[in-house]
Amino acid sequence: MSELQAAIFGALSGSLFAVMALGLSLLWGFLKIINLAHFGMVLIGAYLTFEVATSTGLDPLLTVVIGAAAMFVLGAVVQAGFERWQVSEFNSLLISYGLLIITVQVVSNVWTADFQRMGTDVNPYGANSIRIGALSLPLPTLLAAGFAVVLVVAGKLVLERTYAGRALQAFGQDREIASAFGIDHRKLSILLAGMAGATAAIAGMLHALGESLHPDAPFEWVGRVFAIVILGGIGNLTGTLYAGLLVGAISGLTAAIWSPSASPFVVFSMVVLALVFRPTGLFPSKAVH
Amino acid sequence: MRNRGWIGLALVAVGLAVVPLLVEVLDLSTFYLVFLSGILFWTAQSTSWNILSGYSGYFSFGQGAFYGVGVYSMAVLFGRHGLDWLVALAIGGLLAMLLGLGIGFVAFRLRSLRGEIFALLTLAVPFILAALVRLSDTIDGGQGIVVPVPEFPEALGSFQSFFYVCSAVVGVFALTVAFVMERTRYGWALFAVRDDEAVAEGLGVPTFRHKMIAIAANGLIGGVSGAVFGLNLGFISVEGTFNLTVPLFVIVMSVLGGRNHWAGPMLGAVYIHTLQNRLADSGFEGWSLIVLGGILILLVVLAPEGLMARMRRRPWLVSGALVATLLGLGLWGGWGQPVDWLAVGLAAAVVVAFLPSKRRSGVTARARPSAAERLYEDETPGERGRPLVVAEGVTKDFGGVHALRGVSLTVSEGELIGLVGPNGSGKTTLVNLIAGASRLTAGTIAVDGTNLAGIPQHRVAHLGIARTYQIPRPFSTMTLRDNVAVAIMFGRDPHGLSEARAAAEEFLSLVGLDHLAAEYPGKVNLHERQLLEMARAMATRPSVLLLDEALAGLNPVEVDNAVRVVRRIHDSGVAIVFVEHVLRVVNQLATRIVVLDHGVLLAEGDPAAVMSDPAVVSAYLGKEGHARSH
Repeated sequence: MSELQAAIFGALSGSLFAVMALGLSLLWGFLKIINLAHFGMVLIGAYLTFEVATSTGLDPLLTVVIGAAAMFVLGAVVQAGFERWQVSEFNSLLISYGLLIITVQVVSNVWTADFQRMGTDVNPYGANSIRIGALSLPLPTLLAAGFAVVLVVAGKLVLERTYAGRALQAFGQDREIASAFGIDHRKLSILLAGMAGATAAIAGMLHALGESLHPDAPFEWVGRVFAIVILGGIGNLTGTLYAGLLVGAISGLTAAIWSPSASPFVVFSMVVLALVFRPTGLFPSKAVH
Repeated sequence: MRNRGWIGLALVAVGLAVVPLLVEVLDLSTFYLVFLSGILFWTAQSTSWNILSGYSGYFSFGQGAFYGVGVYSMAVLFGRHGLDWLVALAIGGLLAMLLGLGIGFVAFRLRSLRGEIFALLTLAVPFILAALVRLSDTIDGGQGIVVPVPEFPEALGSFQSFFYVCSAVVGVFALTVAFVMERTRYGWALFAVRDDEAVAEGLGVPTFRHKMIAIAANGLIGGVSGAVFGLNLGFISVEGTFNLTVPLFVIVMSVLGGRNHWAGPMLGAVYIHTLQNRLADSGFEGWSLIVLGGILILLVVLAPEGLMARMRRRPWLVSGALVATLLGLGLWGGWGQPVDWLAVGLAAAVVVAFLPSKRRSGVTARARPSAAERLYEDETPGERGRPLVVAEGVTKDFGGVHALRGVSLTVSEGELIGLVGPNGSGKTTLVNLIAGASRLTAGTIAVDGTNLAGIPQHRVAHLGIARTYQIPRPFSTMTLRDNVAVAIMFGRDPHGLSEARAAAEEFLSLVGLDHLAAEYPGKVNLHERQLLEMARAMATRPSVLLLDEALAGLNPVEVDNAVRVVRRIHDSGVAIVFVEHVLRVVNQLATRIVVLDHGVLLAEGDPAAVMSDPAVVSAYLGKEGHARSH
């Protein structure tokens, strides 16, 4: 039973990492941008939730409006820069690495390098859990799972039903031909990067609900989140969600059966195996090649 | 050219040997020894990173793993178990090298591997190692390890000078490895991989082997340097070892200094270490990551080629600015310490290097090679001699699409086969299969009696197959001469760099490009790039040359010129398979024509007979075309 509890709890925590992975996967798949700065935006989103909730007493869930707006702008500005200087897929990795370490240092200078956590007075979700039968599920991770499902469904709808979404899919497959059909790449990509930034803020808020914050946290996320992006299939939203749940469940099980320190080992072995046998991800979708 | 490099390397080594004396004579504090040891440590780390990531283009975020293995080998073997520190050092280097080989063995075998995926895989490695080190009580177990000061020869005096000597030896070793690679096949194989890996493999470069050599050198030097640095740390912890400092710094230093020159990472190490030191000294420690991140972004966007390339354009002015500033501030003596003067001098050097120049730097002419060798023994092309390529029942499916179905074809000595057919008929697929670039679904292809099944592509090149690409794929960072030289270095009759460069002229003049030998591919037109493709293919000394639409996009004058070149190549005794749309040319040139349609061999034989075959005419021109052509 404790193993089942560990797997379910792990899968729910994995959904938080799936929320982090969504924006990254979209940008990589559709714009050929590997945006490590995305992790910086998650970090800023988390600290904004902490700061606003602590200083104004606003419900932490509502603070996401501020964070999402700010990160929408930041994501769009970064993408506008990438467009302006015609940054290649590889250079985007280097530049956003630079942006990430700048962000980490700025956050550390503003909020100090110490661990910080919202008090229970401002954060009614942090310490609560819901019991289902013999299982006790913490509220923050349940919220993360809920947001993950909503974001994936909304993202799928936008991509499949709207003009902008279809144009983006066309771009993901062949830039030049899509341009030849008169699709304005610049506006669309800036819009998409803005939305990815907003999802980063949501991920940050969800992280702040359940965990203590410290500036180096992005470096702990990077490995697991990229594992989810690659396992889910780059640019594949539902695949990302499934991969998040899978990676989370396996990490949880490894931690319960073996040791928490062993879970990165198991997760990255999975990534290598996936790259060998299923390079397009574990959950291929029709839309993505 | 050759000598200048050796002089540079020797100067670095001698300078490093003199420094301790200088410190003593000038009565400087030991701070300068420590400061220099730091620069040397970073020189070794970033140079070792650059051997893999700069030379081959496979960026690694995993330098911390090699460094960490070195540090922990020293900590556990010497610090905890009291083994001799030199033994611990050697084991650390070997373990890091094995780790590199292990990573390479997994990563470089992935068919889907691209640079980004490699970078992300290597990003994960230090985290996995950190987890294992923390987990294992025999290594660390999360407690940290104390490393005592080792015994060292008394003649060296203080621990600082002992540590300095060790760092200098490792630093010079790293520079020497990078320097030698840059002048031998080992480096050029990696440059070719960086520019276009598939083309390199097709020209006969054993890319997997050379990437493994590079990652092994990366691991070995990174590990040895880490082990030496471990001696200096005193206390070693997981958090202090497997963090992002090392991977970040080596990337910034190498990108800043320049990745195409052995001394680039060293230059970057000097700049970044001095900058770090001055920032920390002036109380801006909290700003250092911001400054480093900013430098990385600016460089990638504005000057991706790095400082070294800029400075080499005006070496005297740059070093003059540095020395003048240093001497000026030193003699005046009214401000700061030598390290401040150095910081200002370095800044002055950068300013001079980035001053806009009025004169565009032209391509420097190099000496013409005196030794020109005979291209091929005179032999008259025989009519259908020995079979060179024998393809039987060749079938290739892409998913549900049958690109080729049961095609059989023999290419014999002295032949010039025109391979024609409508778009999508499978011509390029057949070329790819014969060149060993993709695997057959069914059937066999044998080159010179050797079945290609399971043979790596570079071996196919060594069996005597060379090919060109429809859209030319030159190595863009190399001159035309070096493009050809790489093919010679790894072809059937391999040579060293300087001989290959000399022999390259021969192949360039074969296609009439000898006057452009020192140009870069980006500066020449499409026709010339296609001729370069042929020269490069010929430089591997093939017995069969596969030309994939070598005339596409050319104007009539250029077509005539290209046809002359193809004739000349054929006359030199090389069998040619010539994929082409322009039937006039095919008729003129070919000794035999093979027609493909929808992946099936439709007809083959004498040009006149094949071209009047009604089945061919209707497949190629359509039924109306058939009617109109009469």
